[in-house]
Amino acid sequence: MSIGLKEPRAGKAAAQNTASRKPAGRKAPAQDRRPGSSIDVQRKKLLVPFVGPAFVLYTVLFIVPALGAVWISLHKWAGSGPMKFVGLDNYGRIFRDRLFLSSFGNTLLLLFVVGAAIFILAFAMTLVLRDMAGKKMVRNVIFFPHLINALVFGVLAGFIFNPGGMVNSLLAPFGVTDPPKWLAQDNIFPLIMVTLVCTTTGYFTTILMAGVDRIPPYYYEDCALAGASAFQRLRYVILPLTWDVFGTCAVLWTISSVKIFEIVWVFGGSSGAGVPPTQSWTAAVYTYVNAFSGQSTPAYGAATASAVLSLALISVLVVLLRRAMRRDAVEF
Amino acid sequence: MGKTARHLRPLAALLGAALALSTTACGGATDASPAAEAVDISGSISGQTINYWSMWKDGEPQQKVIATAIADFEKETGAKVSVQWQGRSNTEKLVPALNTNNVPDLVDGTLAKLAPVIGETGQASPLTSVYAYELDGKTISSVIPEKFTSNGVFKGEDGQPWMVPYSISSDGIWFDAARHPELKAKPPATWDEFMAVLDKLKAGGTAPIAADGDIAGYNSTWFVTSLLRLKGAGSFKALAEDKSGAGWDDPAVLEAAKKVESLVKGGYLNSGYNASKFPAQQQLWANGDAALILNGSWTPTETGSYAAPGFEYSSFQFPAIGDKPASARVDFIGFAVPAKSKNQAPAQRLAAYLLGSKYQDALGTDAKVLPVRQDAPVDPAVASVKAAIDAAPATHLQNDGVTFPGYTEKVFFPRDDELFLGKTTAAEFVAKMKEAQIQYWKDNG
Repeated sequence: MSIGLKEPRAGKAAAQNTASRKPAGRKAPAQDRRPGSSIDVQRKKLLVPFVGPAFVLYTVLFIVPALGAVWISLHKWAGSGPMKFVGLDNYGRIFRDRLFLSSFGNTLLLLFVVGAAIFILAFAMTLVLRDMAGKKMVRNVIFFPHLINALVFGVLAGFIFNPGGMVNSLLAPFGVTDPPKWLAQDNIFPLIMVTLVCTTTGYFTTILMAGVDRIPPYYYEDCALAGASAFQRLRYVILPLTWDVFGTCAVLWTISSVKIFEIVWVFGGSSGAGVPPTQSWTAAVYTYVNAFSGQSTPAYGAATASAVLSLALISVLVVLLRRAMRRDAVEF
Repeated sequence: MGKTARHLRPLAALLGAALALSTTACGGATDASPAAEAVDISGSISGQTINYWSMWKDGEPQQKVIATAIADFEKETGAKVSVQWQGRSNTEKLVPALNTNNVPDLVDGTLAKLAPVIGETGQASPLTSVYAYELDGKTISSVIPEKFTSNGVFKGEDGQPWMVPYSISSDGIWFDAARHPELKAKPPATWDEFMAVLDKLKAGGTAPIAADGDIAGYNSTWFVTSLLRLKGAGSFKALAEDKSGAGWDDPAVLEAAKKVESLVKGGYLNSGYNASKFPAQQQLWANGDAALILNGSWTPTETGSYAAPGFEYSSFQFPAIGDKPASARVDFIGFAVPAKSKNQAPAQRLAAYLLGSKYQDALGTDAKVLPVRQDAPVDPAVASVKAAIDAAPATHLQNDGVTFPGYTEKVFFPRDDELFLGKTTAAEFVAKMKEAQIQYWKDNG
């Protein structure tokens, strides 16, 4: 509910944001109001051919479908055949649905808990790797898991954690005769969280390192001369100079974490042969099950309603995050 | 202002054009379904072309049979069939296509997947003419066993059948007859006999039952079939439909849940069944590490590649509980024709054509699945299932045909999983189901 309370502010922030950014392209001609300026005329001529195609594509492929989704979310509809208008019923229903709330809770766990773990680890690795020999190779190695399809991890989970799998076989010589039930329904989501940390940390480490590598070496020399500790160097040099990179990473993670779907789908639910246990559902899985589970009549209205809510969540979070992270960029 | 307006005008025009373009592209979503009339399909269809979206992928055994049938069909009728071997996702692709005027002329799939998409939404043509069509002197309706059609599972709201099945699937409790000849000689017929078998297996040091507990659809078969044995086919659907939830107070429902509980509490399920990933447990079973598995008629083909040497597939039906006539599970795979298709006659003729005995026999012997025709021979591995279906007085669908939106995945499966995985008792399961079902119907009623 706190999100709901903050919404007007966020809305204003969004308005400000767009006000300060969008016109950037358009404001320029307005500023030099010399009629007949040849640059102005050229700009006007170029606006439509340059912006037009992208604008049309964007509208057709993104904005209209998004509005269409809002429209569908006001209906009871099986995907084809008759549509019945039900107003905001779908929204009310999913808010009363404990399963949606727990799925949504899982999404927030991914966003905040996994996000925090990823960024702490990524920062730590960045600092360690900066002075390490062979850092290029290490960077490639830690980036590699990000290239692998999540399906592979889903299948691997079986090999590793099945009752007769790798982990239990390795534990057996140590006298572990009654190992934990790794793949029990309640343990699947924590396993997914750990997997996500392992696969995503390398990706953000790479981006952060690119930011850290940009910092000119004389700042570090200055630090050494001033006798700054490693922490002070982080606090006064590295963090301020990579703040914008960090901010972008945070937004990237927010957007991608809310959409996490395939790894949940393949981790439980036996690589797509069934529906994963409800304990591991995220908001995206909830949306998918409502529309495409194949076990019952599709409920496109409820599915789009939960998708629209996810979109609203991302928008609010991104705006809040941008606001919280806003600093004057340090030029160097 | 004038200047900005001049800038905006072309953009506004573009936006308008874009909106117009995309709305026309998506138009027709709310169109009333076209007039659904049975068509005459007996005339010549030479020179006509149909588009067929198949649920099979190139190279699958069923695909080979259908491809042969299509080749013969084209030669015989002069019609042309353009096939897309799409695989199981063809029904998901069908949903958006049905909102356009560019629909396939023929699709196939399981009844469970086609019904919500095309059958119950009134988007399928009535196939009355197919059922009346004569092939080798016999009508199609006479070669499909009556017990498959008598409960009206293929009928739409208009009372006309919209699907023609060409193959079926079922389930059974599978075992290796080479290792357990005693089960083949005298399969347990009642629940008490079944428990005696389990006790004997357990005492002999073999895990009695293997189960891939991560597949909710397999887990639920135990409870649903127990209930159907106690109260007859259709009783689970009636229970799920009950808006008051009072049906869950029926002692028979609790008894069915207790049967499942007794398997869990009795330690008859293979250790690790509640924390593994499909197909680990059925692999164990095929290796001979567990004796029995409750699974579909596809089990011999699905586990054939890793079964222990000399494995001889056989099965018996879920044991009887009480004195109701035991129904056999029969799920259908078949054709439907979208109502918007402009090539009704050739599409419906092809649907009928696959019920010809040549292709039905090939499905049974080459593809090793169960053909819909009773007179078609089958592979020895599924002979036990076929015999059970032939003998059963009635049939039921998987989950007794319950497809209410979200009920299965959000209400039933999670709670049934808890029961089967040993996290709740039978009494708790019944109480939780009652509460959740009342809430479900309050929200979806």
